[in-house]
Amino acid sequence: MSVVARLIEARAARRQKPLIAFNAATLRLGGKTIIENLDLQVRPGEFLCIVGASGCGKTTALRLAAGLYRPTSGAVTFEGEEITEPRREVAIVFQDYGKALLPWRTAAGNISLALEASRVPARERGARIEALLRKVGLPGHADKYPTEMSGGMQQRLQIARCLAQEPTTLLMDEPFGALDAMTRQGLQDEVLSLTQASETTVIFVTHDLDEAIYLGDRVIGLLPHPGRIGIELDVDLPRPRDQLATREHPEFLRLRRQLFDFIKATEH
Amino acid sequence: MKRTAILWRLASALVAAGFIAAWQLVANLKLVSPVFLPGPDRAWAALVRGFSSGDLAGKLIGTLEHMAYGWFAASIAGIALGALIGSSRMMRAYVAPSLEFLRPLPVSAIIPVAIAMLGLTQGMALFVIAFGAIWPIMLATIHGFAAVEPRLYEVARSLQMSRTAIIAKIALPSALPDILAGMRLSLTVALILSVVCEILAGLDGLGHWVLLSARAFRSADLFAGVILLGATGYLTSIAMSLVEQRLLAWQTAAR
Ligand SMILES: Nc1ncnc2c1ncn2[C@@H]1O[C@H](COP(=O)(O)OP(=O)(O)OP(=O)(O)O)[C@@H](O)[C@H]1O
Ligand SMILES: [Mg+2]
Repeated sequence: MSVVARLIEARAARRQKPLIAFNAATLRLGGKTIIENLDLQVRPGEFLCIVGASGCGKTTALRLAAGLYRPTSGAVTFEGEEITEPRREVAIVFQDYGKALLPWRTAAGNISLALEASRVPARERGARIEALLRKVGLPGHADKYPTEMSGGMQQRLQIARCLAQEPTTLLMDEPFGALDAMTRQGLQDEVLSLTQASETTVIFVTHDLDEAIYLGDRVIGLLPHPGRIGIELDVDLPRPRDQLATREHPEFLRLRRQLFDFIKATEH
Repeated sequence: MKRTAILWRLASALVAAGFIAAWQLVANLKLVSPVFLPGPDRAWAALVRGFSSGDLAGKLIGTLEHMAYGWFAASIAGIALGALIGSSRMMRAYVAPSLEFLRPLPVSAIIPVAIAMLGLTQGMALFVIAFGAIWPIMLATIHGFAAVEPRLYEVARSLQMSRTAIIAKIALPSALPDILAGMRLSLTVALILSVVCEILAGLDGLGHWVLLSARAFRSADLFAGVILLGATGYLTSIAMSLVEQRLLAWQTAAR
């Protein structure tokens, strides 16, 4: 077997091994079982979307993957190793961007926070910050305070700070939930182009079924009380995705229908 | 916005001028005996005289020193203790009852204790001033640290920031508006207690000056001292708000 073939095989094997795995993870909080026996494997480079009715445990599942919660029983692993604390290669984009940014630091200062934590030397930070701001479409806003920015800009800034961590994995909790439809679609495409190129693994929680199918390689639907997997759909839609063509694709409509019926059934 | 601000300034200057005019009128008509109430003219003359030939400047510096040392000591200890207590829920639960017991104690109640332990010394004055001034700062710091947005701590955790970095970059800046407000309150407390200590312990300062003037029925000198105390309180408070504006520029940037 040639070296190249072996390399390709090794890479394929690595891709098969899950990056993040929930192994019969159960979480009880305040005497209530929030997540029960969750089994889920996330492949490296995968874009996984999680949907489900309000209160079914989407955020909680994401916090388990982030290491912000530890399971009561079972395990959640990252590269086969149990997650005990948040780690820098796993970045979290919170829904409430207003609370996740430092109001006393400018846009540049907020990004700098992540660079400082990664011990990037001060003289390299300026160029890195500039590049990151450009990457998320905020060039020229370095000196603005978060309160001087619109919601969409603040969420872009939070994403830039997360990218400054140079994460291999992005955990996003309804990141566009509070934004208007136009801003939302723009940001969807930006997140896709930012993560697809760098093969970043993404777990993306959303209420919006269309958004889940549009973005994901796979969509998981959670059932409530306690949270567990109710449906799993592979999304076989061509990439790069396109706001018009993808959403009109027969497969998109079929998946949308299936997911819609599932959610409908859970809501009573 | 700018215009109304100027109008307000003008109005408050007019009120002050009216007040001084009324004072002069009362003094000229001798509604109160000149032994007790000098007019603003005599008070001003005494002020000028005190600075040019007396040691009023020395007394002012004495009071400023007492105030500054006590206030700095209170600030450092108050912020450190407040941060310690405010950043831990356990500490808050354990310490809060004791604080609630100590806080309403009038500082005057501990002055005799301080005098008994430390004598009529500068050390006693420093202790009393710092003890009185620490409360607003410490309580404000506790509140500021307890009110840090929990989401920011999660951001810090996901960035794997060190404990000191979390305090310096997240908790302190977040609590800063509260801390500065507490420090401003303490400024007044420190001034009042400086005067009280100077009167009680005969320490060099405006308190002592006022006391001696009163004993000698030199009402103009007494008023000069009081005016100087008022000015000290006013000017230090203005200086403090300038510092606040500077440090909290991000709060006004939004509006
Ligand atoms: N700290 C906690 N203690 C007790 N119960 C909790 C806690 N956090 C969440 N829960 C409960 O767990 C359930 C799942 O919460 P979670 O926030 O994960 O839901 P979600 O799917 O993200 O909902 P939403 O779509 O509204 O964001 C809810 O019923 C919630 O009340
Ligand atoms: Mg949620």
